[in-house]
Amino acid sequence: MHHAYIDKFAYQDSPIHRLDARMKLLLLIVFTAVVVALPRTSPAVLACYAVGPFAILVWAKIPLRFALKHILIISPFILVLALSCPLYDRTPVTVLFGPVTWHTSLGWMRCFTIFGKFVVTMLALIALVSTTRFNVLLAALHKLHLPRLLIIQLGFLYRYIFILIDRAQHILRARAGRKMRNLGFKTELKFAAAMLGSLLIRSIDNAENVNIAMRARGFDGNWRTVSKLKIRRADLLFAAAAACFLLTLHFFIRPALR
Amino acid sequence: MAKAIELIDFSYTYPDGTCALEGITLSIEHGQKAALIGPNGAGKSTLLLAMAGFVKGTGKVLIDGLEINRKNIKKIRTRLGSCLENPDDQLFMPTLFDDVAFGPLNMGLEPDHVTKRVSDALQTVGLADMADKAPHHLSAGQKRAAAIATILSMSPTIITLDEPDGSLDPRNRSHLIQMLRSLPQTMVIATCNMNFAAALVERAVLIDSGRIVADGNAGSVMADLELMAAHGLEVPHQLK
Repeated sequence: MHHAYIDKFAYQDSPIHRLDARMKLLLLIVFTAVVVALPRTSPAVLACYAVGPFAILVWAKIPLRFALKHILIISPFILVLALSCPLYDRTPVTVLFGPVTWHTSLGWMRCFTIFGKFVVTMLALIALVSTTRFNVLLAALHKLHLPRLLIIQLGFLYRYIFILIDRAQHILRARAGRKMRNLGFKTELKFAAAMLGSLLIRSIDNAENVNIAMRARGFDGNWRTVSKLKIRRADLLFAAAAACFLLTLHFFIRPALR
Repeated sequence: MAKAIELIDFSYTYPDGTCALEGITLSIEHGQKAALIGPNGAGKSTLLLAMAGFVKGTGKVLIDGLEINRKNIKKIRTRLGSCLENPDDQLFMPTLFDDVAFGPLNMGLEPDHVTKRVSDALQTVGLADMADKAPHHLSAGQKRAAAIATILSMSPTIITLDEPDGSLDPRNRSHLIQMLRSLPQTMVIATCNMNFAAALVERAVLIDSGRIVADGNAGSVMADLELMAAHGLEVPHQLK
């Protein structure tokens, strides 16, 4: 299997990678909440907020191209929402961006704010996922008392999604090898239904086997793991630095750029 | 002393009415390495599932003298480790460490003890430096070894393996043979690969259509050209 794993850089080593996953997760939640709660704001303010995740990505040696590529993949979903703003709010507004003056509408401002917030929060999310292994992230969620069933489901999803993708690719390849002409929409639809059915049946079969493997190793419904998470001085220092960054932005930078 | 595995007149029929196993009477001594050989659909995998208590039929199944029932099943799970045919079914946790630790944790061992067992098991199968790897990052040979480590960490006295050589290249198959030979546990291996079986076991049990057709010394059962051909099998090249 050669898939583009979203956490492929999480196996590197850097001071950011070594930080406690709980701390990183909590900081991401706080950072996202702060950015999302920002009132309609200028691109300059959002750019200042982007400095945080950007610095983490650079420090952790995560290629920015990788981060931007993933933002680009998800951006169409948010662009649909953002681009609808200029259509219903055309109130004129003037924006100052350093020496540049821009006459635009409130709708476009909203559009840029939504998209800007999306990019900044996605940068932070990618910074977290690229510096924290998925299993450690699950352990952090467990320590933060998220519902156990949800964590188990996420673990299975991460473990088996690639196998499912692989199987779908095999079926598509087998079909491509025998498809000699365009079969028309109806036939294609029938094929898609048969493929999904086959994937579903094989997934059920897999699930039954996994259940046997779990029971064979004494699983009784209680999920037990060995936790290796530990808060150290570096984690506290990082949290303090992140808090200073957010407070400086809130009390000094934002009023100056308003 | 009780036998490691004992089946007495065991029969099992699938819910659709297909008879999978019929009148199986078989006993495996402690320390013995036996192969269940037979063509596809003969009932080998079902027999392994019956030994682990996953299919309930008529007759008796005893593991280390304990009859498989609700009361004994926990004890039996710690004595008999089952390794499934597909390692992707066996390795369901996000990392190798978590997978190998899954059994010992369910046995109620302390975290320090669990960590020791995990490192010992991974050492035995040659994956000591891969504890933090995700299973989907392992090769087919490594996955197979990891699947065996998941049961070794529970320190079972009996191990059942379903087609352990499936999809392995010759080098990985040879590594697997060496590793399995080095294990002291009682072993029951279901396989269609006669060369693999001949290299590993001292006893062969030939099954076809849910019945035991032949049972004896691996060399003599697998060298019988007529018998092997009659059941769609081949004589291993070591015995030709």
